[in-house]
Amino acid sequence: MVRSEIERVVFQPHTSKNLQRGINIIVNAVLPTLGPRPRAVAIDRTLRDKMPEILDTGGTIARRIVQISDREADAGAMFVRQMLWELQEDVGDGTATAAVLFRSIYNAGLRYVTAGGNAMILRRHLEAGLGVILDTLDDMAVLVEGDAEFAQIAQSICYDRPLAQMLGEIFDIIGEYGRLEVRKGRGRGLQRQYVEGMYWEQGVLSRNMLFNDNGSRTDMEKTAILISDFNVGDPRPLVPIVAWVMENDPSSLLIIAKDLPPTARALLLRASEASEDFTAIAVKTPGKLRQSQVAALEDLAVLTGGRAFTEAAGYKLSSVKPEDLGRARRTWANRSNFGIIGGQGDPRALREHIRGLREAFERGGDTSDRRKLRQRIGKLMGGSATLFVGGLTELEVELRKALAERTADAMRAAIRGGVLPGGGVAFLACQSPLQERWEQSTGSDERAAYRILRDAVETPIRIIISNAGYDASEVMAQIRMAGTHKGFDARTGEIVNVLEAGIRDVANVQKSAITSAVRSAALALTVDVLIHRKNPEKTIRP
Amino acid sequence: MIENVQDVSLSQDIVYGIAASPTFAEDGICFAAQRSGLYRSDDGGETWRFAFESLDLENTLPATSVQVSPGFSSDKSVFVGVPGGILRSVDGGDTWRVVVLRSPPPSVSTLAISPDFIHDGVLLAGAMEDGVFRSGDRGKSWAAWNFRLLDLSVLCIAISADFANDETLFIGTESGIFRSRNGGRAWEEGGFSTELAPVLSLALSPNYARDETLFAGTETHGLLRSKDRGQTWERLGEDTIAGEAVNGILLSPEYPDTPYLLAAVGASLFVSRDEGQTWRPWKERWAPSHGVTFVLAPQGLEDDDPLLVGLVGGEVLRF
Repeated sequence: MVRSEIERVVFQPHTSKNLQRGINIIVNAVLPTLGPRPRAVAIDRTLRDKMPEILDTGGTIARRIVQISDREADAGAMFVRQMLWELQEDVGDGTATAAVLFRSIYNAGLRYVTAGGNAMILRRHLEAGLGVILDTLDDMAVLVEGDAEFAQIAQSICYDRPLAQMLGEIFDIIGEYGRLEVRKGRGRGLQRQYVEGMYWEQGVLSRNMLFNDNGSRTDMEKTAILISDFNVGDPRPLVPIVAWVMENDPSSLLIIAKDLPPTARALLLRASEASEDFTAIAVKTPGKLRQSQVAALEDLAVLTGGRAFTEAAGYKLSSVKPEDLGRARRTWANRSNFGIIGGQGDPRALREHIRGLREAFERGGDTSDRRKLRQRIGKLMGGSATLFVGGLTELEVELRKALAERTADAMRAAIRGGVLPGGGVAFLACQSPLQERWEQSTGSDERAAYRILRDAVETPIRIIISNAGYDASEVMAQIRMAGTHKGFDARTGEIVNVLEAGIRDVANVQKSAITSAVRSAALALTVDVLIHRKNPEKTIRP
Repeated sequence: MIENVQDVSLSQDIVYGIAASPTFAEDGICFAAQRSGLYRSDDGGETWRFAFESLDLENTLPATSVQVSPGFSSDKSVFVGVPGGILRSVDGGDTWRVVVLRSPPPSVSTLAISPDFIHDGVLLAGAMEDGVFRSGDRGKSWAAWNFRLLDLSVLCIAISADFANDETLFIGTESGIFRSRNGGRAWEEGGFSTELAPVLSLALSPNYARDETLFAGTETHGLLRSKDRGQTWERLGEDTIAGEAVNGILLSPEYPDTPYLLAAVGASLFVSRDEGQTWRPWKERWAPSHGVTFVLAPQGLEDDDPLLVGLVGGEVLRF
């Protein structure tokens, strides 16, 4: 923590008013982006000679607002910003929904607390009410499958039909945990490529080890694999390993190590030159930090049926026996990556290993840790996809790439947790159980909590209607008359059965949005004192 | 009654697969894939001739699996798995074109053909170490599609009769069963326990799209049935057919209305008339000289329908 001098301490009633002002600034900036007909938000560039940035996603807009000039309101603004950023990092979407829910809960809660309500007890009841909402959403969620349904989900997230169709196909192939890289493409459109097997982001230790495709790549068959993080000093223990592989069934040797001395590299090159039927190369141990290196070696060992050797565990090159080598049908390497196709480890062990990684992923935890776990699982899934995004201008490509990545994150959540009636209809359906709880409540704080939540869950659909240029009160009256699963199609201006119209929201995104909104608003309501530092550090990270 | 016993090859031979023309009742055409090569019969399995003659081979080319096009009467297409590739014929096996699968040479263990092959041209090949290869152009080109397939040792494939709509197929592997719902491009694990594997044979109900039923024959854990697309499984015939390798499962074309099943278990055949609840030997006192490796009922499982039985040793029996 950075220590700096205290400039001022703010107490109630100023604390809440200042927070509320900041919250409203951020939410107002994000609010126009909710719905299928969002209005864009322009943000000045830091360099004055550049065009303003045009944005239509809540998370990115919030991320761009590093600080607001009103110091008193800044704490509230940054509070919402943090919530939206974390939500975007976690599930890729739902930030505008979370923002409007947050504001509704906070403002109504603040009115109640100002009138004498107990913020701490209200917080407890708000969180209990959140459980009612989540249960209701769970009951409504339906699983999606197949490229057509995936494309429909993607469309409801990105509103870009060609991109949605491409992502629908890709996720039908790679699945929830699959590895997808989004890269800048050539031309104006979208292209995709499926890559067989698994690959890691480390390449050959020497360019002299690239034998195919004009020295840009090496492809090998029936490969024996030494899996290690050895920083080899003495190359002599390598000789029996190379000799054994040359004399036995494998026709190639892949050494994974942190580094090999020039003599060891020369040994591998000489062995490769000595026989037309034999190739030996070395690649760098994948992973930058020790923890990720150990994880990668563990994955490689399970995949290939080999043994992972780490120096930290006391192993040396001389410890390696032929039976410790992994096997693969094919391997390849270039300057940046190496890959394995058809690892010959025990499939039961591989399935068990992946099951363990999935369980760790589903247990939750830090977003970054979960992302790493998902990437590990994706690497073991037998293939990956690359989506190439083209465009007329650099800006168009960058925006569409970001959109594709965000949509992909939300799609993973959709495959995992299913979908809900979209356009705010699922939240609207939560009003009925919340009303029931309100009627059953006895204490004033509990009644206030359910009333606040009952009103809040109506706000997303109201904002969607308003953003499309219609009168929210008038349209809401029509929706209530129309019945279950009926909502507003902002593209046509009609009242429709949203599921039949293909208007769906990702259940996990909506659940994360309401969870973030309720928990953050309930917490914000309990803040009584604000302490301003003299020279707070500016940061683009929350 | 044994109508004919035709030893089609060498004493060390083995029958890996048999496939019949969709109009077998009229034309009597069928093929037997064997270690010694491919054989064709034009008289319902009574006599056989070597179908690799035109290849002019110096050495034996094992045929590890065979499939006949559902439109065979017009397109004359036959597909044969061989070490390292697929052979394709468009003249009923008189001449062959070779499609070499990518190196190292895969050992093709099983072939499956889309019931809608006439329109979609889809074929699938399972390999012992390389997973699944898929062709969408009538077998002219093949590509590996192993996304989410966590076991590349494929032993059998079963394809939905409604493949044109549901794009569903299952594969049995060393460690269990995987399902594809996108025509064999990607795979997912079901609820089949790895402890029950390997899975040697699979059969889908002809009404799979409605009844979601499939059967799995294992190497050591007998026969199992799932009625929920492979999520949960129950053992069948534990008192009669458990413990031996189930090399083949056949269902009546009218299943489940006609709840007949036939299973090749070890060296015998067993039948069930009640969806697999109870089993009895197919014929009392029938004991073939070698183990049963493959069984095909080209016209159904009624008592007077023909049955082709492949054995270790290379015999194909016709009943």
